[in-house]
Amino acid sequence: MSDVAQRGPAPRVVSAVLGSPALHLIGKRLLTAVPILLGVSILMFVLLNLIPGSAAVQLLGPEATPDQIARLNEEMGLNRPPVTRYLDWLGGVLHGDLGRSLVSRQPIADVLPTRLAVTGELVGLAFVISLAVAIPLAIAAARRPNRFFDKVSMVVSTGGLSMANYVLAILLVLLFAVRLGWFPAIGFTPVSKGLGDNLYSLALPAFAMAFPLLCFYARFLRSDLVDQMQGEDYVMTARAKGLGPWQVLLRHAFRNSSFGLITIVGLNISGLIGATVIIESIFSLPGIGQYLLQGILTRDYIVVQAIVIVFAVVTVLANLMADVLYAVLDPRIRYGSH
Amino acid sequence: MRIRATLCLLLAGALDLTGCTKPGDTGNNNQVGPPQKGGELTVLLDSAFSGSWPSGLDPATNTTGGGNLTQMLAIYGGLFRLVADDNGKNAKVVPHQAASYEYADGGKTVHIKLKPGIKFSDGTPLDADAVVFNIKRDMQATCTCKPTWQLADQDPITAEGSDTVVLKFKNPSSVVVSSFVVSNVNWIASPTALQQMGPDAFRIKPVGAGPFKVVSDQLSSELVLERNPTYFVQDRPYLDKLTIRSIGGDQPAYQALLAGQGQAYEGMTTIPLLEEAKKNSQLVVTQQPATSPYVIQLNTKIAPFNDKRARDAIYYATNVDAIRQGLFKGAYPATQSFTADGGLFHHATIPGYKTYDLDKAKALVQQLGGLTVDLGTLSAYVADQVNTALQTQWQAAGIKVTIHSEQLQGLVQNFVGGKWQAMLQTAGAWDPAVGVGVGFRFGTTSPFSGISDPTIDDLLQQASASSDPAKRDSLYLQVGQRISDQSYAPFILAFAPASVVTKNVHGPGLTTLIPPVVVNTAILWDEVWMSKS
Repeated sequence: MSDVAQRGPAPRVVSAVLGSPALHLIGKRLLTAVPILLGVSILMFVLLNLIPGSAAVQLLGPEATPDQIARLNEEMGLNRPPVTRYLDWLGGVLHGDLGRSLVSRQPIADVLPTRLAVTGELVGLAFVISLAVAIPLAIAAARRPNRFFDKVSMVVSTGGLSMANYVLAILLVLLFAVRLGWFPAIGFTPVSKGLGDNLYSLALPAFAMAFPLLCFYARFLRSDLVDQMQGEDYVMTARAKGLGPWQVLLRHAFRNSSFGLITIVGLNISGLIGATVIIESIFSLPGIGQYLLQGILTRDYIVVQAIVIVFAVVTVLANLMADVLYAVLDPRIRYGSH
Repeated sequence: MRIRATLCLLLAGALDLTGCTKPGDTGNNNQVGPPQKGGELTVLLDSAFSGSWPSGLDPATNTTGGGNLTQMLAIYGGLFRLVADDNGKNAKVVPHQAASYEYADGGKTVHIKLKPGIKFSDGTPLDADAVVFNIKRDMQATCTCKPTWQLADQDPITAEGSDTVVLKFKNPSSVVVSSFVVSNVNWIASPTALQQMGPDAFRIKPVGAGPFKVVSDQLSSELVLERNPTYFVQDRPYLDKLTIRSIGGDQPAYQALLAGQGQAYEGMTTIPLLEEAKKNSQLVVTQQPATSPYVIQLNTKIAPFNDKRARDAIYYATNVDAIRQGLFKGAYPATQSFTADGGLFHHATIPGYKTYDLDKAKALVQQLGGLTVDLGTLSAYVADQVNTALQTQWQAAGIKVTIHSEQLQGLVQNFVGGKWQAMLQTAGAWDPAVGVGVGFRFGTTSPFSGISDPTIDDLLQQASASSDPAKRDSLYLQVGQRISDQSYAPFILAFAPASVVTKNVHGPGLTTLIPPVVVNTAILWDEVWMSKS
């Protein structure tokens, strides 16, 4: 009886999976994430303690007397040494407890899911819009570089890159909500009240976040595609085999160019989450960006720490996903040659 | 339309105003028909101030209660409230959930009788025991919105029967009832609901006896309220639903109003947007009467302002009209004392008040052998603009000026440290004896005062103790005169918020004038209604 027959098919699969370079990669990345998250939490705690003003001062306002400030600081436990406060918080997090807001006394774990859902959907939609528009745009522009369509798309994308998303947000509201009345200017409708209404309420904020991104992606992808099409041997080989220009572009050049795009998308996640702070404020969306802003303004370090940790986890996972996608797209990585 | 707008601007110029409305006008030319029942109203509040309620809406634990008047009044109503004629005149505090009040024992005791039969929205009674429970709890609050009462040592807050609350004080006071409308003791929460829910849940979904009850509350984001069916005033409130939504400032709020996602916005201060709104036929702008002027506090306890000549130089070097016109297009009135035309005991002018005179300022600076001033303020767009203008004006008189704006922590530290020289601040309140009143900025014992003057302390003490309005008026006039004569603090102008509503919205404090009690006006939400058109 052969070895394979003796071991049976199941152990063979398990062994193959455990030996997979992709799995090693995921494991390695997750282990690396631990010191990153710890470092982020320490850095954030130190920064929050360096910012002038305590939660008590921010909450009580300019009319507060020193006695009132001291009393509220004591009530919120802010009179304890910073190291003690940090270790208490860390202990809670390690036991799965993100703590309670200093200011509202609400458990963070109760608040985060609903707010995370709003922001997650907003960011997800922004990515979908940006990629759905940028990819065809870049391919069409790269098909005939420096021709009319390419030049127009370059001008538009340069304009989009020069415009801050909050300025765009205000302009979008003025045009599509105030002037045309097509979309709401503010507010959020949860999915539970209908997917159509939900997407309708997020259309403008998602587009305001997506537009600068799609301009960036379109320019980046177009340049890379043009480089691939003009200078790579495999493109010449494909052409020599008799493949048409669209086939070469879509089946060969785009596949190669998508590596760069995936890297950029992975890196953009944190920036996009950061942009939600201002976009959610403009569109009055009850998301995590708005919650973070409130936490910073009231110096509620428990809230800020929890959100920053969530942001860090999302960023780490997004980059991990990008790495996994490389493996899916590139056999050299999948089979461990890189 | 262009002609109408031009006429509007010309008229505005003639009236020394920015638009066709002026403080004193309701701005509400769309008052049509009797109030109608029904409707859902979304009110937008600035996330940086009134739209921020991070610690919840329990009167005893809400640390931003003074900014959250709209939320608190909609949920709790109030024992008392401030009402006024539609043009803001004859403002007075009247009993609301209270039926009446009576001062006794020479002003050391106040009896507050409650209206019978009032119930909280959970069905439990709002009686004297509930009020006593609340006031005792509120007095322990850390909020600056708790009253600064000097309560008697023995049984200061007691119930007399089921309908009367007795408050006892160490010293006579005539302003106890006025202080209710600017403080958390006005908002009575259901003790039963508090006990059942626990304080942490209660602060998120509190129970009161006001015109609305809480449906949902996402702190500092969105508060959804619906009509309280057990509300004690018959056929009120008019509205079925009131949604309070936090928004990131004047510009997004204005756009949301135009897009129909909100029907009211409180506290707009951006002048170009206000001008735009005034020209828009779909909107009604109501400029509330001012009560709290900007003042340049001078620290008379240290150099250079322990020398009266230096203080005089600042008075003469300050061109208030240039600031009013240049920065605010004349929208806010100049003032020479610690209140404004919306406040009690206001006097437009103070005899002998030193106004702008550059030559005199230069001469004084020369006499002093030069003058160097450090001018601070709390970091805010308007305050920073005013400080920059002051720096330019004072430099023209030969004064060397450095300006800086502080965050809250820095500002408080500066005041407490006592090393500050000049600070641009706001002073005053509807009643000078309560809230951030005149004592806060000019009393010897206040950490936020730059002067130590027993004469002023005595006058202020007498004014808050007296129940005779004429006597109080005379005493406050003397305080204003003393501040002016001693050149303690030049006043600039009285800043006031404006409300912007869609033209189908009507109501006291939104489309009629009521003097602001803290910063914003206390809107009477049970009287707010929407026309169907």
